[in-house]
Amino acid sequence: MDRTAPAIEITGLHKSYGGFQALRGIDLTVARGERVVVCGPSGSGKSTMIRCINQLEEHDSGTIRVLGTVLDGRLASLDEIRREVGMVFQQFNLFPHMTVLENCTLAPMLVRRLPRAEAEATAMRFLEKVRIPEQAQKYPAQLSGGQQQRVAIARALCMEPQIMLFDEPTSALDPEMIAEVLDVMVTLAQEGMTMVCVTHEMGFARKVADRVIFMDRGEIIEAAPPGQFFSAPQNDRTRQFLSQVLGH
Amino acid sequence: MARLLSFPGTRRQRELALQAVFLSALAALVLGAALTARERLAAQGLTSGFGFLRKATGWEINFALLPTTTADPYWWYLLSGLVNTLFMGAVGLSGAFALGLLVGLMRSGRNPAARLLGTLYVELFRNLPIILQLFFWYAVATALPNPRQSIEIGGALVNARGIYLPGPEIGRGIAALSALAILAGAGLAVGILAARRFRRAAPLRRQSLAALSLAAGFAVAAGLALAFRDPATPWITHPRAEGLRITGGWRIQPEFYALALTIITYGAAYVGEIVRGGLKAVPRGQIEAAAALGLTAWQRFSRVTMPLAFRAMLPMLANQSVWLMKATTLGIAVGFSDFFMVVAGSINHSGQTLELIGILMAGFLAINLTLAALMNRLDRALSLEGSSMRPRR
Amino acid sequence: MTQTTPTRAVPRRRGLWRRLRHDYAATPAAALVTLVCGTILVAIAWTLIDWAILRATFDPAAGREACRAAGGACWPVIAARWRVILFGLYPYDEQWRAALACLVVAAVILLSCLPRMWGLGRLAAIWATGTALFYLLMRGGLFGLTPVNEQQWGGLPLTLFVFVATAVIGMPMAIVLALMRRSSLPGIAIPAGLLIDAIRSLPLLSILFTCAIVLPLVLPDFLIGEKLYRVVFGAALFFAAYQAEIIRGGFQAIPRGQEEAAKALGLGWRQRLVRILLPQAFRLALPATINQFVIAFMETALIVVVGFMDLLASANTAFRTGEWTFAHVEVYAFIAAIYFAFVFGLSRYGAFLEARMDAGQQRS
Repeated sequence: MDRTAPAIEITGLHKSYGGFQALRGIDLTVARGERVVVCGPSGSGKSTMIRCINQLEEHDSGTIRVLGTVLDGRLASLDEIRREVGMVFQQFNLFPHMTVLENCTLAPMLVRRLPRAEAEATAMRFLEKVRIPEQAQKYPAQLSGGQQQRVAIARALCMEPQIMLFDEPTSALDPEMIAEVLDVMVTLAQEGMTMVCVTHEMGFARKVADRVIFMDRGEIIEAAPPGQFFSAPQNDRTRQFLSQVLGH
Repeated sequence: MARLLSFPGTRRQRELALQAVFLSALAALVLGAALTARERLAAQGLTSGFGFLRKATGWEINFALLPTTTADPYWWYLLSGLVNTLFMGAVGLSGAFALGLLVGLMRSGRNPAARLLGTLYVELFRNLPIILQLFFWYAVATALPNPRQSIEIGGALVNARGIYLPGPEIGRGIAALSALAILAGAGLAVGILAARRFRRAAPLRRQSLAALSLAAGFAVAAGLALAFRDPATPWITHPRAEGLRITGGWRIQPEFYALALTIITYGAAYVGEIVRGGLKAVPRGQIEAAAALGLTAWQRFSRVTMPLAFRAMLPMLANQSVWLMKATTLGIAVGFSDFFMVVAGSINHSGQTLELIGILMAGFLAINLTLAALMNRLDRALSLEGSSMRPRR
Repeated sequence: MTQTTPTRAVPRRRGLWRRLRHDYAATPAAALVTLVCGTILVAIAWTLIDWAILRATFDPAAGREACRAAGGACWPVIAARWRVILFGLYPYDEQWRAALACLVVAAVILLSCLPRMWGLGRLAAIWATGTALFYLLMRGGLFGLTPVNEQQWGGLPLTLFVFVATAVIGMPMAIVLALMRRSSLPGIAIPAGLLIDAIRSLPLLSILFTCAIVLPLVLPDFLIGEKLYRVVFGAALFFAAYQAEIIRGGFQAIPRGQEEAAKALGLGWRQRLVRILLPQAFRLALPATINQFVIAFMETALIVVVGFMDLLASANTAFRTGEWTFAHVEVYAFIAAIYFAFVFGLSRYGAFLEARMDAGQQRS
């Protein structure tokens, strides 16, 4: 693992499903400690892009380098990367047959080979951080959506990753629960975590992002610091998108 | 409404009348049948009742785990048949589940060669009547060479009279008791793993307790076998052909293994489809989340996919188990003395038809209810509290 | 660790070789699986071809010795015994009638697979006519046909008869049982439920056996009848218990609003049932129903245990006699092909219908 390499370096990334080109030539570098927010209309390829970063999707061509390691389809590099990259999904994807605590200790024990006591201590620390330590013995289905998503964040953090990916973490939540999840994400950002977030929460982007990226039809159309991105978007498509998202 | 049945009075009265008519017709039917039966039986000189159960049978059954002789009474024969059925069920179910799991995995995987093999297997075994398959295997088994020309495979002898395996020299009763001890140990282990009480306990403690009970089962079995061993005989005897006779070793009769093979291969085709359905029911997101956490393929499969798939397929597996237990009755077609065949034989010899049919029904009801209760318990123990993955009824 | 892995050449093309490698040998373990399964497949295919074709004897005049010498399958046994296998003990000179009867059943089944024929009235008419025609051909006694006793029936026609009769008697019984179990009157729903559950918990064999030997004990003389009909009744009862639950499942899957809408329109009980509920319940239950038909067909083979000469039993006798005792595999392969063609065809048809219904549902 290279201590000096950028967190993520993507060059010339292509990906298609059958005849549909989901990504056509993405170039993106994310520095360590940088917070990047990715937005764009649905079907623009933003989810596909971040799913390529931890290889939930195999890319067709181009290179992806995470923490200096090239993702070339070898299983060894894959295991290494997934250990260092945490991910939070739109649908939470907590394991329904395990308690909250078991969800959080599973990967540290299996992948990082931590002893149970240590894994549980870590898990409780992160559950406190997302403010639900009292739910540790419950099953996911007994929690509200917002609580589940906070557990999902804690579960990813328990692996002590260097990079966190968020794939529309608030899109499946009822409006009143969005704030509690965003609060946790803001805290995380303030502590210096490298983050790539696909989200439409523009307030969040303004508050924490170092850079906002707009994607459409599989390409990065515009990338700029939030101040510039929101006040003076360069591209027509960006302007149109912003007017739709912020319009009302 | 009144167009349908021109019955005077309120709807409630009409409903009551309808039920009364139906129930009395039903009662009349049953009563009529009972009266006719009594008359017929009296004409044949038979007395109804369960007294015959204590009479000696005077005929033989050709497969028995419990020691039986012609001097044994009917109740012992029936019990023996029930034990045979349960044993066949245990062998058939565990074999069908194991093979079915393999077939299901082959059909669900990405490997085209494995998928083709799995598909061929399922389509072949599922689309032929089970009794045809049984006749086929039995014909193959009994068409093997006669004992003089036995085929030898690594110390075992195979011929038309059965498969003879090298085995420890212990009596049949002790062997049955030992098997029971192992079964009890395994049952207890499963119970401990599934029990609610132990759920909150650390998995490590649960697992070691389960392992302990399993080990205890084997220990008791080994102890029994050792304690009741005839010290004059060698530890393990090998089957030897002496002309047409084979001495030593353990004989597996063609009736037994043909039926076991049939139930296993036929059942596996169905279990394979259930496994495939269960694997399909696991949401993709679950597997992706496990991958994102860095779990390896095997860890993803064993910790996330399989536990969830198993919960999804449990109700269907329960149905399939009941079905396979019922399939043991096919034993009568080749002469394996299962419960049903013993009942049928008893009817032939004693003429106590109604009583024996009653016993048959009670026996299968008991087996089914026990299986259903076990599966329900497992289902409850594994159920996902408040989860919507599978609606609970 | 860094940079030690060379960057892969940029275009990762999805060529044939890459796809093959990806599918068959992505990891060493996958390659091993491919190897093992491939070997098994090839071995099975080769054994089959070798036995059934390459080393097989086809000359109808060849006997036991010629077959033994060739070492493969001995197809002359089929040439010599096919009429026994297909028609059992049915009088030799009248076997054309049995063959015709089989064709009638085949036509009935094919006709009912056409969606155009799906109406309660049409289906009932087809099956009633077909059964009557079949019975006339087989039993004879009218139009100058020699009477043939049921005890002489055998082989494929007997198998088909049991199947058709099971379906024709069992289906109405299933509808009645399902309606009774759904009834809001406990005096009707409870006995029906008990009957259904009791039958479902018993093995079919025990029911056939009971019908063969216990019914004569409890029925008045004029109702005892031929053993064949009692056994068919037992098979139909068993079919009905399972089918009733399938139909009930179909009823439960109908949205609640349907019945309420029909009530609000002022339709009576029978109109609601016949016009609104039954058609929808049947449609929803169609895949499971076809599956049940497939199972019922395979289960007809069980009647051999209570002493009938159905296709399976006549096959057993075909190689039990004299010359052909060694040829059991060939004979079983022959009837297995007959069963397989029917069952596989029907279950494929079921899968096709299911796919069609799913597509229809997505469109609506």
